[in-house]
Amino acid sequence: MKRKGECDNFPTMKVALAQTAPHLGNPNKNFQRHKELIDQAKAAGADLLIFPELSLTGYTLKDLTQDLAVQVDSDPMMNEFRLMSRELALVLGFVEEKDNGLCYNSAAYFAGGELLHVHRKVYLPNYGMFEEAKFFAQGRNFHTFDTPFAPTGLMICYDFLHYGACYLHFAGGADMIIVLSAAPGRGFSEDDAFATCHMWELMGETISRFSTAFVIYCNRVGFEDGKAFAGGSFIYSPAGELLGRASYTDEELLIQDVDLDLIRTARKKLPYRRDNKPEIILEALKRIVSRYED
Amino acid sequence: MKINASFVKKLLARFIATELSRFGYENGILGLSGGIDSTVAAYLGALALGPDHVIGLIMPYGDTFGRDVDDAEAVASALGIKTRLIDISPSVDAYYTRFATDSRVLKGNKMARERMSILYDFSEREKALIIGTSNKTELLLGYGTLHGDMACAINPMGDLYKTQVRILGGHLGIPDQVLNKTPTAGLWEGQTDEQELGLSYTEIDEILYHMIDKRIPRRELIGQGFEEAKVDRLIHLIKGAEFKRRMPPIAKISERSVGHDFLYPYDWDK
Repeated sequence: MKRKGECDNFPTMKVALAQTAPHLGNPNKNFQRHKELIDQAKAAGADLLIFPELSLTGYTLKDLTQDLAVQVDSDPMMNEFRLMSRELALVLGFVEEKDNGLCYNSAAYFAGGELLHVHRKVYLPNYGMFEEAKFFAQGRNFHTFDTPFAPTGLMICYDFLHYGACYLHFAGGADMIIVLSAAPGRGFSEDDAFATCHMWELMGETISRFSTAFVIYCNRVGFEDGKAFAGGSFIYSPAGELLGRASYTDEELLIQDVDLDLIRTARKKLPYRRDNKPEIILEALKRIVSRYED
Repeated sequence: MKINASFVKKLLARFIATELSRFGYENGILGLSGGIDSTVAAYLGALALGPDHVIGLIMPYGDTFGRDVDDAEAVASALGIKTRLIDISPSVDAYYTRFATDSRVLKGNKMARERMSILYDFSEREKALIIGTSNKTELLLGYGTLHGDMACAINPMGDLYKTQVRILGGHLGIPDQVLNKTPTAGLWEGQTDEQELGLSYTEIDEILYHMIDKRIPRRELIGQGFEEAKVDRLIHLIKGAEFKRRMPPIAKISERSVGHDFLYPYDWDK
């Protein structure tokens, strides 16, 4: 990453999105694939490489969930990722077992040889073709944390479709919202994409613009038990402009230059961050919640 | 009901290639009837695997469906896939010599299962995975023979209504005489699907699309102008066919039962 005063006037970085098709239920094979892509991203000069949801295991795990769960502090693969993050920051998805014996759909952010944060998926889809709440415990927080690049918030797939959750990263000061996804495509459209791809892009455009933050969405492709994952990974600028998008069907390593100065530029024009009123939202929510009845 | 045929084609070819490769197969095999469904499946298979890796079994009952055999051969020749012509009448007749019947349904089912039996035999002989040809309309209405034409290893077209298969067929450039042929399950001579179901596929798919994909309840469908008797006929068929879409129920009496709380993905480590 170039910082101000170095080679040019703007802090630019290269973000890489690894739109993979993980091998279902085989972390060793997926680990090898992660390493190959890390090497490719490094060779391309990437500063940050992001993988999809459950990139180490595949998505449709069912009873494999417990078999493949690892502890982030002690697992040898996690330790290798931590070490590899000395050269470029890594975000990836895995099944995490905490000390309490519960398994989570988790995402880890490694940078500079350290584990900076683990996000545990809060919104576990459990309807239609989804049954995550049957196999995973629910995370309980959306925490914005510091990274070498920008204050960052992690989300996993269905988390991102809840604008209340996105608001927490906005209010928490995130300049970069990273979404790891394993979103299957549903429904037909006139474009060369599933109808649901539009939904993710709509959310990406909206949340980036109204949070004045980068939204980086890394989805996967491939088939699992007939489900087609819909790719279309993207990066939106803090002004809601599409900077790059990957294929809707193919594996791809999307590498995109990101100018972090766009955050400041956007906030001069779009003062949502300045005008945010979290204390009013908080008090209003308390009043709403206090009136809940069943 | 509209589809982007070019995108769907790419996706379904990718599905076939992925599934075969996962299970260690290079070749696909399918029954080629000369009708639109198996023709579209053959085109998708050829696209996914290359024509050299697709085998079409043409399995007529004697010379009852001569024109269909011609059409199936024309499709195979246009695609450049391998075929094998196998007359099922000797084995089917041998059975009915012992257990005679006049029932067209029994005979039709027997023929469908004879074809299935040959397909699975050739699947092993040719080391080729069976590509299914059932569409969503058939699966919903149960318009197929259990363990007969519904049997397969993968089903690329099971989420496309008959109308959508026809759109895809047009895009793929399948021969006109197949694209415009009156759909028949080939259960007996002169039999047509629409005659037997009592509705045209256009009507059926329009109702099913709103009922299933758009989740519109019966009362609202009728309110929107769909004929009550037709809606009820389709609901009746869908209800009656659930057993064809599911594995048989297992009596769950142990601590952990297959298919109930012993749950692993189909593509597990494939």
